[in-house]
Amino acid sequence: MTLPRQKLKELTTIIMAGGRGERLFPLTRDKAKPAIIFGGTYRIIDFTLSNCLNSGIRNIYVLSQYGSFSLDIHLRLTWDILRPDLGEFIYSVPPQQITVNRWYRGTADSIYQNLNLLEYERPRQVLILSGDHVYKMDYLAMLDFHLEKGADLTVGAVPAPRAEASAFGILHVDADSKVIDFLEKPAEPPGMPGNPEFSLVSMGVYIFQAKTLVQEVIADSKNPDSQHDFGRNIIPRMVGKKKVYAYPFQDQETGEPSYWRDIGQLDAYFTAHQDLLGPGASFNLFDEEWPLRGYVVPTPPAMFRGRHIQVSDSLIAEGCIIEEAGVKSSVLSPGVQVGAGADVEEAILWDKVSLGAGAKIRRAVIEDGVVVPPGFTIGYDPEADAQLFTITEGGIVVVPNNVRLEVA
Amino acid sequence: MKTILVVDDDDAIRLLIEMELAEEGYRVLTASNAKEALDMVESEDLDLVILDIRMPGMDGLEALPRMLGLKEGLKVILNTAYSQYQESFMSWAADAYVIKSADLSELKNKVKELLS
Repeated sequence: MTLPRQKLKELTTIIMAGGRGERLFPLTRDKAKPAIIFGGTYRIIDFTLSNCLNSGIRNIYVLSQYGSFSLDIHLRLTWDILRPDLGEFIYSVPPQQITVNRWYRGTADSIYQNLNLLEYERPRQVLILSGDHVYKMDYLAMLDFHLEKGADLTVGAVPAPRAEASAFGILHVDADSKVIDFLEKPAEPPGMPGNPEFSLVSMGVYIFQAKTLVQEVIADSKNPDSQHDFGRNIIPRMVGKKKVYAYPFQDQETGEPSYWRDIGQLDAYFTAHQDLLGPGASFNLFDEEWPLRGYVVPTPPAMFRGRHIQVSDSLIAEGCIIEEAGVKSSVLSPGVQVGAGADVEEAILWDKVSLGAGAKIRRAVIEDGVVVPPGFTIGYDPEADAQLFTITEGGIVVVPNNVRLEVA
Repeated sequence: MKTILVVDDDDAIRLLIEMELAEEGYRVLTASNAKEALDMVESEDLDLVILDIRMPGMDGLEALPRMLGLKEGLKVILNTAYSQYQESFMSWAADAYVIKSADLSELKNKVKELLS
């Protein structure tokens, strides 16, 4: 048996964090998707990075591209905690254009263009992750599975009810978890062996044998018909030719699917916040067994000023000041101020949002620093909201901080 | 007629390969360093490059991905006196790896195979 330390030594971890995140616009207009605020005091990439640390992984490359400054700053302020002189690091790697003169054409191309990192590390296995998923996963358990199966590639896969699985890339597996087919958004997703009402959704979490990975990304770089994407091109091409396995992301004892969300678009961003709240919260931020590291702001504790304050099912970060107002099913980042008589329901308020007296907010995401004037309403009049803000398919109002709000 | 570029800092080797391939009926161009070679990949319509690895300045393994980035579908044969570069990940981006020898038959066979 290989000791965990030895196994980890032979593993290099790469987090792909360079995408434009167009379906999260306007939140991504000046930021990388993984650098977007989530859950009050986190950035989306914090979940993946926390998973790495909790799994014992301490050598991590973060490949950035679009909006890299936002991500770089976050990594420096929150994740400058490892010691490179001890072989531990979280390095932010923007496109270097050493090997080719172009931006990344896709996720697979981002690995191809960074073959020099792999040459330097010469790992046996490479763990490839995304910076825009919310979940708690022990990657070491997945590595054990990968080694046990003797796989060329292991794909992390979460079971989802078949009816909901049509929107995703689905892994069709045999009884030994070997992938026999990969289907992109199938109308009739195949069920899991022994669990026919569930299908396996690819999570975008991959463990490759390093040599296989290098061969695949090189071959992909020469294919003019490829979009150079792991999910769309590399994985489907390997199925049937190489030993590809699916690692089911579920409770090992009960078989219950574990929590995993792709924060790919605004409604998913909003809904995943609701998952953090209330007695039935499906994602627990307060798990001492699996600490989640977010950003720390030197600021006083939250203050509730007054006697008639109603706060329920909400996360209130440090530095918030709430006067005699109502806050329900909401997430408040540090330094948010809620004036007297204001009413906040199902809202996500980023840092230092200020709500004037009597303001009413419902089903909205408000970016940092937005000043909402007294008496202003958001989320009550779809026509008025649509003139100023983005409204999602699910009816969520998104208020960016480059508009000035005025009472008519 | 297929066009081949021979990149090597050794004049004698360049000349030898050039002559033998010209005899086989190919149009053969030569470059004595990687930078010159990259310029020719841009300016000439090449089908195949025979690329030395150890050269002063930019070496063959640095030049290889740049060439491939400049011209889609370009075939490259690494031609070196050393076997250890086969371990290098970047060398896997070449279509073939041929150890240098006075007898050019292996190289010529690879050329024929890749251009057929």
